[in-house]
Amino acid sequence: MTGALKKTFNLAVTVNGEAWSAEVPIEETLLEFLRNRLHLTGTKRSCESEVCGACTVLVDGRTVSACSYLAFEAHGKTVLSIEGVARGENLDPLQEAFIRNIGAQCGYCTPGQIMAAKALLMENPDPTREQIAKWLGGNICRCGAYGAIAQSILEAAQEYRK
Amino acid sequence: MMQRATTGGCPYKADTKNFEMLQSLQLVQPTTVAEASGALADFGEKAKIYAGGAELLLLFRNGLLDAEILVDVKKIERLHRIEIDNGTLKIGACVTHHALEKNELARAQAPALAYAESQVANVRVRNQGTLGGNLAFNDPHSDPGTVLLIHDASVIIGNSSGERPIALGNFLVDMYATALESGDLLLGIDVPQLPPGMKSGYWRLHRYQRPTLGVAAGVSMTNGILDEARLAVGCVGPKAERLTKLETKLKGTKLSDAKRILADEKEYLRELLRPVDDLLGSAEYKLYMAGVMLGSALEEAGRNGHDRRS
Repeated sequence: MTGALKKTFNLAVTVNGEAWSAEVPIEETLLEFLRNRLHLTGTKRSCESEVCGACTVLVDGRTVSACSYLAFEAHGKTVLSIEGVARGENLDPLQEAFIRNIGAQCGYCTPGQIMAAKALLMENPDPTREQIAKWLGGNICRCGAYGAIAQSILEAAQEYRK
Repeated sequence: MMQRATTGGCPYKADTKNFEMLQSLQLVQPTTVAEASGALADFGEKAKIYAGGAELLLLFRNGLLDAEILVDVKKIERLHRIEIDNGTLKIGACVTHHALEKNELARAQAPALAYAESQVANVRVRNQGTLGGNLAFNDPHSDPGTVLLIHDASVIIGNSSGERPIALGNFLVDMYATALESGDLLLGIDVPQLPPGMKSGYWRLHRYQRPTLGVAAGVSMTNGILDEARLAVGCVGPKAERLTKLETKLKGTKLSDAKRILADEKEYLRELLRPVDDLLGSAEYKLYMAGVMLGSALEEAGRNGHDRRS
């Protein structure tokens, strides 16, 4: 049966390897869930229209705009945000490469850039510069650090292939 | 109350004071078409069909919809299928753009559609947004509908008393308006094969994520003569349109004459496409570019079709 109308949802979700549960309002976005409840503030709020990519996180390995993805949709799924990318003290090769190449200026878009890049390298660990440009086309860097971002991803890809 | 499921306990209180949240929403998750239709009929204007949410949540965010109830149709299993049945590619309404872009059946039967899907917005929107949602929203600045028109695609509409097919051209009524009636939901899209030997493609002009202009072409040619051309243009006016009158004029002509014929049909294009001035460009610019891109689409489709893979 359809069941009654729900105003809240009993959400059970794994975020960066930790299992959480919460009763969330239907209208709560994944961005609000991460930032306000878990205080994972690496995921940024910016355009709120699925254009800029600052709020990019992975849900079951796929990128979504956390600002426009309702939290209840993540029920039973695995969310990875920028805070879960490093393994303990060991940074992800993407993070290392972004630091090495100064792949950020102000840094606001960087978590989203890295999450989008991670999804790309998980799907294709040997991307061309053109493939990187197309994939990252939905992640805007207003400082214009695109060259260094692309270079960082190319270098990190070498590590992902090992 | 937040709980760490493994250990219990809650480190933080939800702090929502500084956030502007979406309006208060309620959710219903039917598992059958009849239940979904019943919910839509019962709740009327208060309820909206919710699939990927890629467009719907933007409307909420911008205060353009005051709906209170989401009828989440993703629990209806059949809406997720992609299959070939009797030569027709049948796509469930909840299949995402990304799934279609990668799907081998779609790439084989409708390569221009698979290509158009790979161009929709960005990878996040393609992961979340669905073909059914895209068509039912009928935003004029959209890609897939234009390609589906040259396939003579139809959509399947369902409600609690049954289902009915309707040609896509009749389904897309006007900007943001479709033939869906109260209690109706879009179940799927039927995409017939192109005629044997027809090559097809999709070309788009875009400066931002939403296209300024989309052109779909299917061309069958023998020795430089157009046996059949199917043409559709989207984005410049209220909705995507098939250019049937122009197609008839092109039939039996040389490809080299096609551009001249196109140039003569500017007023036909203006009347049919009803181009509008907006932030993506002036009506004149869009009309001009539609002519240019139709010409190159005919040439390129005639030459080798469009097996671009993303």
